[in-house]
Amino acid sequence: MTTAPQPAPTKTGPVDPVYRQIRDLVYKVSGIYKADEKLYLLADGCVRRMKVMGAKSSRDYWDYLTANPSRDGELRQLLNEITIGETCLFRSQPQLDAVRKVILPEIVVEKTKQITKRLRIWSAGCSTGEESYTLAMNMMEESERLLKGWTVEILATDLNDRSVETAKAGIYGDYALRNTTDYYKRKYFTTLDEKKLQVRPEVKKLITFSRLNLQDDSKILFMKGMDLIFCCNVLIYFDGSSKAKVVNHYYTNLNFGGYFFLGTSESLLNLNDKFHLVHFPGSIAYWKPSLSSGKL
Amino acid sequence: MTTTSFTATIQDRVSRIDTMPSIPAVFLPLLELLNLPPENVKLDEIVKLVSYDNTIAAQCLRVASSPLFGLAKTPDSIKGAVLSLGLRRVQTILLTCCLGSAFPAKNWPLEPTTFWRHSLGCAMVCRKFSEKLAAPDGDKAYMAGLLHDIGFPVNCMVFPKEFAIATANATQAQIPLDEAERATMGFSHCETGRALAEKWHLADDLIQVIAFHHTPELSESAKPLVAMVHLSDLLCRMRNMGYGYYESRKVDLANNPAWAILLQEYRALEGIDLVRFTFELDEAAGEVFNLVSTIFGSSAAAGKS
Repeated sequence: MTTAPQPAPTKTGPVDPVYRQIRDLVYKVSGIYKADEKLYLLADGCVRRMKVMGAKSSRDYWDYLTANPSRDGELRQLLNEITIGETCLFRSQPQLDAVRKVILPEIVVEKTKQITKRLRIWSAGCSTGEESYTLAMNMMEESERLLKGWTVEILATDLNDRSVETAKAGIYGDYALRNTTDYYKRKYFTTLDEKKLQVRPEVKKLITFSRLNLQDDSKILFMKGMDLIFCCNVLIYFDGSSKAKVVNHYYTNLNFGGYFFLGTSESLLNLNDKFHLVHFPGSIAYWKPSLSSGKL
Repeated sequence: MTTTSFTATIQDRVSRIDTMPSIPAVFLPLLELLNLPPENVKLDEIVKLVSYDNTIAAQCLRVASSPLFGLAKTPDSIKGAVLSLGLRRVQTILLTCCLGSAFPAKNWPLEPTTFWRHSLGCAMVCRKFSEKLAAPDGDKAYMAGLLHDIGFPVNCMVFPKEFAIATANATQAQIPLDEAERATMGFSHCETGRALAEKWHLADDLIQVIAFHHTPELSESAKPLVAMVHLSDLLCRMRNMGYGYYESRKVDLANNPAWAILLQEYRALEGIDLVRFTFELDEAAGEVFNLVSTIFGSSAAAGKS
């Protein structure tokens, strides 16, 4: 008997145990973890893929993901489904708090003896620029306090030319701005029309947008001397060995005492044992210990 | 003030807790039963004890049906809960429920709901830790997590003014509460908690946890348990189950001295995926919040008055 795919669980309804199995598989392969309260997002993605693939049930779809010859490709499609459209400005306040309240004070002390006071941040896989501008605005907020007299450089790269062009324009609608407070909107944006705001030129000045393939080893060599690297929901697009290589590049490109951030529900798994996993209130990051910490 | 006179002050003031009215009669006998080997504890004894306090029995049955404790349906009796969950697990649930009414939460400088969320969260993390490490007594770890901060309610009752200043300083400077306590009062909830634990004749390992959970390397007789509570406490504070204010700090769990202590006892610690453990902890937090409303709702609400 042919049946339509089971509807995805709602936020409050019971969870089909197969979705938990799929969640574990997704985590094992990609490091992306969908907690129970967000399992419905994973299930939504599964249901969309089940329709495309003609899977009759979640159990059927599980077989597609584990036993079908094209399982790797299907898993990639599912990862696209569950990570798409997540981006917006100010996506993770706990990460921003960690940067401003814990990391910047630490880096400022660490670099106090250096002649050039320069902070370098890399937004790797910047997509359409939301994360890069969020970082820029937050650094500008510190320009009269912690970062007084400092030069801030943000390098924002993406593989996709069109994304980079959209990022450079810095024009955003309500959805991308849903977490942006009026304070930031007034201070750092101009109004284009009723529905769109554009990032002010002084914010753009901090950022250099460019196209970069993270697999291009020779170009990545030029991204040295970073204090912070953000790479949210990008590693899922690499297979095991190239993922390890990219992460190794990040480690090399970070200064001692620098930090590497992934997406809020993303893990590095066992890709690099030189990074120290560190917790901040509400967020985690990977730390390249400073020379003075004695933890190298 | 010298250390000796501090200790005398603490002990003197804590001895007056006897006058506090609401420690449920079943609490201490239940704790004593927890110290006995399970084969020496009779189900009927527990049922009889609990029958003296209907409120706690009812709470216990509701809590037993929480996903954190693993029953799909609310059991209809304490006996039924014991048959499904086991004696030790039900004992820990009962003790959790008892603790809710043990401390009158009036005019606390610390938000009572926040405090209980932290305590219950820590209990839950300790039990999860035990499971992952295949440690022998997850229920003991749970109790250790639940009780580790009992010095805070003691401070609220016995040193209200001093503790209010310490709490305000911690919140303002975004530093750990125990550091603020030591800076402003000269001692912390570890010392006051220990005084109460000794007065209640808690088991030695629980006393060690209460006294040394911020300095596990100083523990003499229960280092692994104390280290586990130390790490669970830190994790809770980093994952939205802290003391209700932002602690500006970085925590490197795997390079914490407590990690090395625990690793000596449990090699399985090496294999723990800490990130996933963290995500799972976030998942359980919602349920911890629900349980706090169920168990501590009335006492926590009293604190807001």
